[in-house]
Amino acid sequence: MSSALRTPGGVLGFTLTLVFIALALLAHVVAPTDPFASVGSPLTPPSRAHTFGTDDLGRDVFSGIVHGTRTSLTVAFAVIAIASGLGIAVGAVAGYLGGSVDDVLMRGTEAVQIVPRFFLAVIVIALFGPGLDRVVFVLGVTSWPAIARVVRAETLSLARREFVDAAHALGARTPRILLRHVLPNAVPTALVVISLSAASVILLEAGLGFIGLGDPRSISLGYLANNAQRFLRVAWWMTVFPGAALALVVLGLNLLGDALSDLANPRRSGRTA
Amino acid sequence: MSGRYLVRRLAQVVPAAAAILITAFVVIHIAPGDPVLALAGQHGDAAYYALIRAKFGLDRPLPEQLLVYAANVARGDLGVSYVHGRPVASVVLERLPATLLLMMTALIASSIVGIALGVGAARRVDRPADLIVRIAALVGYATPSFWLAQIAALTLALGTGWFPVQGITDARQVWTGWRYAADVIHHLALPALVLAINELALTTRLVRTGVLECLATDYIRTARAKGLPERSVVRHAFRNALLPVVTVIGGRIGMLFTGAVLVETVFAWPGLGQLLLSSIQTRDVPILLALFLLVSLAVILTNVVTDLAYVWLDPRIRYE
Amino acid sequence: MRRGQRWIVLSALAAWVTWATPAWLHAQDTPTRGGTLVVAISADPGHLNPAITTSGATHTAAELLYNGLLGRDERGDPIPDLAESWTIEQAGAAYRFRLRNDVTWHDGTRFTSADVKFTFEEVLLKFHARTKASMGGALAGIDAPDERTVVFRFKQPYAPLLLQLDATEAPIIAKHVYQGSDPQTNPANAQPIGTGPFKFVSYRKGAEIRLARNPAYFKKGLPYLNELVMRVIPDPGTQVLALENGEVDFLWGVPGPDQNRLKADSRFRMAQTSYHPGGSNCIMTVSFNLERPILKDVRVRRAIAHALDRDAFLRQVLFSEGRVATAPISSELAWAHARGLNMPSFDRAEAERLLDAAGWKKERDTTRVARGVPGVQDGTRLAIDFLHFPAFSKYGELMRQQLGAAGIDVTPRPLEPAVFAPTVFKDRNFDTNVISYCNGPDPEIGVRRMYHSSQIGPAPFTNAAAYRNERVDTLFDLAGLTVERDKRTPIYRQIQEIVVQDLPYYWLVETPTTRAWSAKCGSFKGWTGLFAEAAFCNR
Repeated sequence: MSSALRTPGGVLGFTLTLVFIALALLAHVVAPTDPFASVGSPLTPPSRAHTFGTDDLGRDVFSGIVHGTRTSLTVAFAVIAIASGLGIAVGAVAGYLGGSVDDVLMRGTEAVQIVPRFFLAVIVIALFGPGLDRVVFVLGVTSWPAIARVVRAETLSLARREFVDAAHALGARTPRILLRHVLPNAVPTALVVISLSAASVILLEAGLGFIGLGDPRSISLGYLANNAQRFLRVAWWMTVFPGAALALVVLGLNLLGDALSDLANPRRSGRTA
Repeated sequence: MSGRYLVRRLAQVVPAAAAILITAFVVIHIAPGDPVLALAGQHGDAAYYALIRAKFGLDRPLPEQLLVYAANVARGDLGVSYVHGRPVASVVLERLPATLLLMMTALIASSIVGIALGVGAARRVDRPADLIVRIAALVGYATPSFWLAQIAALTLALGTGWFPVQGITDARQVWTGWRYAADVIHHLALPALVLAINELALTTRLVRTGVLECLATDYIRTARAKGLPERSVVRHAFRNALLPVVTVIGGRIGMLFTGAVLVETVFAWPGLGQLLLSSIQTRDVPILLALFLLVSLAVILTNVVTDLAYVWLDPRIRYE
Repeated sequence: MRRGQRWIVLSALAAWVTWATPAWLHAQDTPTRGGTLVVAISADPGHLNPAITTSGATHTAAELLYNGLLGRDERGDPIPDLAESWTIEQAGAAYRFRLRNDVTWHDGTRFTSADVKFTFEEVLLKFHARTKASMGGALAGIDAPDERTVVFRFKQPYAPLLLQLDATEAPIIAKHVYQGSDPQTNPANAQPIGTGPFKFVSYRKGAEIRLARNPAYFKKGLPYLNELVMRVIPDPGTQVLALENGEVDFLWGVPGPDQNRLKADSRFRMAQTSYHPGGSNCIMTVSFNLERPILKDVRVRRAIAHALDRDAFLRQVLFSEGRVATAPISSELAWAHARGLNMPSFDRAEAERLLDAAGWKKERDTTRVARGVPGVQDGTRLAIDFLHFPAFSKYGELMRQQLGAAGIDVTPRPLEPAVFAPTVFKDRNFDTNVISYCNGPDPEIGVRRMYHSSQIGPAPFTNAAAYRNERVDTLFDLAGLTVERDKRTPIYRQIQEIVVQDLPYYWLVETPTTRAWSAKCGSFKGWTGLFAEAAFCNR
């Protein structure tokens, strides 16, 4: 990880991601005002009292963005946790055991990868009603294939190495080998996919919020963008800041993913190793 | 490319399609309320529901229902939308061309420009031009499409007056022939541009990476050392750079549809996006399911086509 | 009066009339013939038969294709349309209409009384929600003794008939087209044949509807426009952009934030109206589910009313486009609207006092808890839900804020229209909600259904509160029988006084809409669905 920080892109990505995670964790400290509370007169431009202005109900836009980022990152984290769990399990088992087990698992992975996540989420919300838990569930159980693929590839190559044979010879059993030797080496490469998946989950959740299918009880960046649409001409700050925040979060995660990827494959960056 | 390979690849479509059908079927049945509502919508009366129940065999055991559902879908019978008063398939197919036009234009434009930019950046690696392209690509990928759409409508349509802000044709004048095509293109420009920017960013990155990777291989170094002209080297690297782009297009179709939905909303483009939104508001679940199946089918088919293109581009690759 | 004085008075009157004439009718010069008007509509209508539905989308798009027996003028009074004259007989139990003999359908067939009889009996009374609900029970029969005469016979005197006969409430469709078919699936719904000023040309689903001038229209000289195009643009912001970009000429509604900007722009004209094809004279109304123990005590309901700052709703949700409701009946129905009622004012101290008196005490939590409230267990929190269409989410936000300050925990629950109706009216699964209850052209049409005990049931947008009051029922029944307007006014006044005391609902704001159009066009009639019948554009 530390060598990834040597590139300017990596540094920027890492910093951005950390800043936003910190913002999310410290949301109540950084923006103590309730994002749903009317604290000022409506539609005031950015000022000393309200750094990013107020929206049409007099709510603080900065507070909305901080808490919205918190929601977006929470959703992303939960989805990634589920997807990683599933992906690592499937990928490791498929790569290690190979054969027909691998075949079946890979067919399953392909099938899940095809499912259009956005449209499935739309149907689930239409049938079950809106809520963050539904979004997390749908995205979580459909986002693991990319992770599984990477973990499988890494496992495949690692499983053939001598240290695994050595561990076998010493009497270690398969799960232990997987956990202690194979996975720790596979995970760094998986991190690339994980950070890129997080970025796309954040964009998907914002998209759902934009068309009005977000959770009405939590402020989210998509909801802010949806609300701001009507006021594009009279209150530019309502669109610009949430949009910028969204772009920066996704940018940070992408840069981080890129830097990690460069680390794993130095030739790709054009630097001959 | 052997015919056997083609057949085998097409056969792989079946389990994928089955998985999608089963997903849809499961969602219909675990949703709260009567499954007939998912197939017939909320507005029907008792006689109508009885009709749908019979057609989809909702009183029979579940495995049989799944077969009936699959058979109906295969025949193109996706139920009837009570809200529209017509078969779902007809409503969806009516709006499909507009969305396809938008998506294909964005895909082709972003691919061509993306490949050009990616190759250009790879050839000037680490120099200012490369940096600019890389940053622009990252920003372009990170910016949400609905936000871009709003900005574009404001600046490029209203601000300059060059482009219209809504619709697929001019409302006042009904053109025919090539003037009609020109009118459509004029209206297509902005939405396609916005949709293309996200794709463009991704394609540029992929191509650049692919070309760089290829240029760094021993194979190329040897060719250069042997004095092969740079142009041939680049052409070879280019062909290899297409590989990741082609592979990724299959996965991107889903995201393209999603982007199209968001862009169509802002530009009043009369396609599937508006249908999706109005169907959410009216809880017209048969339409929503049909859209889900349609997009999934598009993804499956695109995967087949890109796999075949992949093999054609690099004859060394064979799937076991 | 002496001659000179009369002239002064007349000129002053003329000047006042010119000034007071609403922007609708200001004409730059004499009307020019020809041209195309492009109108933005918010939703695809699905079909173009306004007789089988009350959907706003269908009526907005299709009313220009049809006529009703009568129309309505700017003040809401009935004027001739397909019927050239009428008489009221048997003190209002029978209405006789004499129809014009120069009306033809768009396909050339002559219009006769058979079309009227058919439309009412086979279509309106079966499928049009408002007509069915109001006339259905009261009508004894419709006779068509000859081609130019229609007689409506009622079981008892029926007051509101003359206001229910325009193209919004009772459009007349063609018997020769619909006879023997199911009106809901007849293909003519997508290729309509009407009598109206414009004929159907084409309908591209989800995109646009094209209409052309009807050269055989029975109002000689009208319409002036050659073509009328309705563009489907769901996003209101895009509609405004399209107007400003010159792609569209007429908007049915302008979003609040854009109004000041458009007002200042001399390229556009705007005017406010309470009429809408989907429903007129609407009031955003909070309903209390009187079957819920928490809301049974009128003091709690009154406290909620006192805790709401309705001026804030008007400013922040409607951007001051509208009025705070000062009576249960809309001020647009001036003869029925009661003045000087004792409506609860915004007074948080009073709200808190009432809640305390009703047994809801403020303890450690910000939300009050029950102590000695009949039917409610001690310690229960004063928590209610608030159902609303997603489009009305701002109301939910403000309710939560304002009632929260008084110690009431409100959970807004947005529900799509398709789900809202069964949840509220069939399942009655709600504490409070907000509904845009449209009074319609007459209180019998849109107000009675909110308060009459016979209107409690699964039919959408009826008596959501489940309010029962025998005196109010009797008064409504009486008002429906009384034909003379000045005799109905005191009856409605009594009803409003009782209902404001009982507070089964709380009336927030009246919601007119603002139409906007290019200054090159003019002469629109904002009070009717035939809005472009006499419109023209100078280009």
